[in-house]
Amino acid sequence: MEEQQVIAEKTQGSTAGAVTRTVHTDTTSKWFLISSVSYFFIVGIVAILLAAKFVWPELLGTVSVLTYGRLRPLHVNGMLFGWLLACDMGLAFYYVPRLCGVRLWSEKLGCATAGLWNIIILSAVVELLAGHNQGLEYAELPSWLDLLVVVAWVMFGLNIFMTIANRKYTQMYVSLWYTMGTILWTAFVYLTGNLAVLFATGVNQANLNWMYVHNAVGLIFTPVGLAIAYYFIPKASNAPLHSHRLSMIGFWSLAFVYVWTGAHHMLHGPISQWLQTIAIAFSVMLLIPVWTVVYNFFATMKGQWHMVRENVPLKFLMSGVVFYLLTCFQGPMHSLRTVNAIVSKTDWIPGHAHMAVLGAFSFFAIAGTYYVLPRIFNVELYSNALANWSYWFLMIGGLGFFVTLWLGGFWQGWQWNNPSIPFIDTVVALKPVWIVRFFSGILMFAGITTFLYNFMATALSAKGRSAA
Amino acid sequence: MDYTYPSVFLSYFLFFLFLFGAIYFCIRSFRRGYWGGESEDVKFHVFDEGDKPNGR
Repeated sequence: MEEQQVIAEKTQGSTAGAVTRTVHTDTTSKWFLISSVSYFFIVGIVAILLAAKFVWPELLGTVSVLTYGRLRPLHVNGMLFGWLLACDMGLAFYYVPRLCGVRLWSEKLGCATAGLWNIIILSAVVELLAGHNQGLEYAELPSWLDLLVVVAWVMFGLNIFMTIANRKYTQMYVSLWYTMGTILWTAFVYLTGNLAVLFATGVNQANLNWMYVHNAVGLIFTPVGLAIAYYFIPKASNAPLHSHRLSMIGFWSLAFVYVWTGAHHMLHGPISQWLQTIAIAFSVMLLIPVWTVVYNFFATMKGQWHMVRENVPLKFLMSGVVFYLLTCFQGPMHSLRTVNAIVSKTDWIPGHAHMAVLGAFSFFAIAGTYYVLPRIFNVELYSNALANWSYWFLMIGGLGFFVTLWLGGFWQGWQWNNPSIPFIDTVVALKPVWIVRFFSGILMFAGITTFLYNFMATALSAKGRSAA
Repeated sequence: MDYTYPSVFLSYFLFFLFLFGAIYFCIRSFRRGYWGGESEDVKFHVFDEGDKPNGR
């Protein structure tokens, strides 16, 4: 109650003298969200097929477009760029103008960006299924699509930066810092990982590629994911952020620490020992920004935890925070040479990666989508019960997936470290793990389906109402 | 023609460009009052009702 009074007083203070309220049309945000949630569902089908292929390798026979080698890059790129980054961009188009107290600089440019982004994703589907693949992790897209991504990103960045430049407040909330960081860091990470890497060879190429892969998560999806969490946790819980100064420590420590960690993917590989040691040291230092972020979120929720029971966006947000803490504890531990010798290249890695990208950042994106959906379409959410179902499907399916793969990965790693066990025996031994993975995937897909249905039903009810 | 060194040095160049940019803006954030006594006011921007959706 006391905090709500403070919010009311501060809000009155900051809007005193305002004659008119800013009206947001949110057209860009709607287009990005509609397309991203649709890709989440479509690429989810691909994910199920891939999980099934682990259990039944002969599934879908030898049809080339349906082989594992074609579907896997489609799943990775589709989820990262078709679903998650597009959804994050849609949410950024929602919260950036509001945090700046002005309208989006250009809705037309925003809609053009959404159109170009859809052309890129649909072209990527065709190219990847046709087998046109650069053969580099996360950088599979052909160069002409990479260039279109750069163009789209410049359009996105220009719109966001111009909106921020026109802001009515002098100081910027932490979500704006993280969003600007995402735009600039993506320029560096994407250009290095997709263009510079093509001209390098051997170990240098591998090193650049792993720097890109790790920073795609750490300097693209992490900052924009945290920007979303920093905006929606106070909004959904109706409580101000515990400490803005602490959030600044988190931001700057992420900025200075994260970029050095990529080489921990090359531990025990043919790169210099000093480079491996630097990557390990900075990976462990990541605990600093992670803990500042997580402490800030938990402290913000003090006295507000009862709201998690009824509030679906808050459920997703706080579960995402817990997954963020867990995955960011795993990361530094995995970068230690002794642990890495067991889990590297095993199924532990997809368990860890899915907890980051799905458990933390997709949960933040889903929470943001559920929060903005009734507001941008100006209608009630179609079904709160269905939203709850989508949460539990994704939560239970996700936990089954993550935990099974961590345990299976350790088991696999210990077997690989025993030279008396033939490799094929280690593959056969993991079949029970992959069966659980498949059924966990079915549950997660049920969560995605209910999320999509709820989203579309809400959007269509708004359309029907405006037609009437 | 081996492009390994030009590509790696391009990456180093980008890296240092962003490193110096980060140092510059970090120092600037101190000068702009993000770490001082008034730095907590900014967190109430989230609740500023400038966000009237769709003319509602």
